[in-house]
Amino acid sequence: MSSTPVSDAQLIARAVVQDDRHAFGELVRRHQSAVRSTLRRLTGGNIAQADDLAQETFLLAYRNLKSFRQEAKFSTWLYRIAYNVFLADARKIKELPMPEDADGEPVAVADATAPSLSRQAALSVDLERAMLVLSEPERAAIVQCYHNDLSHEEAAQVLGCPVGTVKTHILRAKQKLKARLGAWSPQA
Amino acid sequence: MNTQDVDTADWLDAALEEAGHEHRAAYVADDGFTARVVGRLPAAPTLPAWRRPVIVLLWLLAGAGAFVTLPGAFDDAFRSSVALLLGHRMGLADFAVLLALFGAAAWTSLVYAARAN
Repeated sequence: MSSTPVSDAQLIARAVVQDDRHAFGELVRRHQSAVRSTLRRLTGGNIAQADDLAQETFLLAYRNLKSFRQEAKFSTWLYRIAYNVFLADARKIKELPMPEDADGEPVAVADATAPSLSRQAALSVDLERAMLVLSEPERAAIVQCYHNDLSHEEAAQVLGCPVGTVKTHILRAKQKLKARLGAWSPQA
Repeated sequence: MNTQDVDTADWLDAALEEAGHEHRAAYVADDGFTARVVGRLPAAPTLPAWRRPVIVLLWLLAGAGAFVTLPGAFDDAFRSSVALLLGHRMGLADFAVLLALFGAAAWTSLVYAARAN
């Protein structure tokens, strides 16, 4: 015998109408991984900062749960809150974390020759590092469209900007990444 | 991947897509995160401890004041409405039942109002 899993909408209704904290806890449990990993990407891999921001995200979501209209997916709504929390925090500290080697120099492909790393794994590592040279909106657009698999329209909703702006951010981000990871190009 | 109008046929796209797959496949273990969030949820709004007895006291005072200033009015109105509803004169048992019902309704309303507040 298997019971039907409770949907997000049902859990939200319980949390709003009955102030059911267990229902909200279940929502947190379901979405914590996506929200925390998204924030880790946005913060450039700062796990402690990302988890603090993730906690703020869920607390804000709890306070504003009544205003969630089910027009978008709950996860998209959470991503939007998470991005706003991230932006507020970035404004507070006035500077974004930048890697020490983020000087615009192209990344060497030396890692690819390391015996323990496959080419794909090495590219993945370099891509992670290269992401840090992107501007905050460019990185956010890449994270939403590629990592969270959102459409341009959904990403625009999350980032609070027009769809055209999302496309521009992605285009510019990819130009920067190509320049940074030029050594990985098949033509190189 | 949903990057419709962007050049999708290059190595960077493939790398980004692969990174996206890895990102979605990698589950971040809860490790007490949910418990920490639930522990930080704001407390449910409750009435100050002094407020409920004060409300009851005010109602009692208002009732007593009305009873003192209009001694016959309550009795007349009560008996008339009960007689109208029941169609006969009230006995002691009827009065006791009505009193209990009225008390229960009053307390229920008070508790509900206090909770809603």
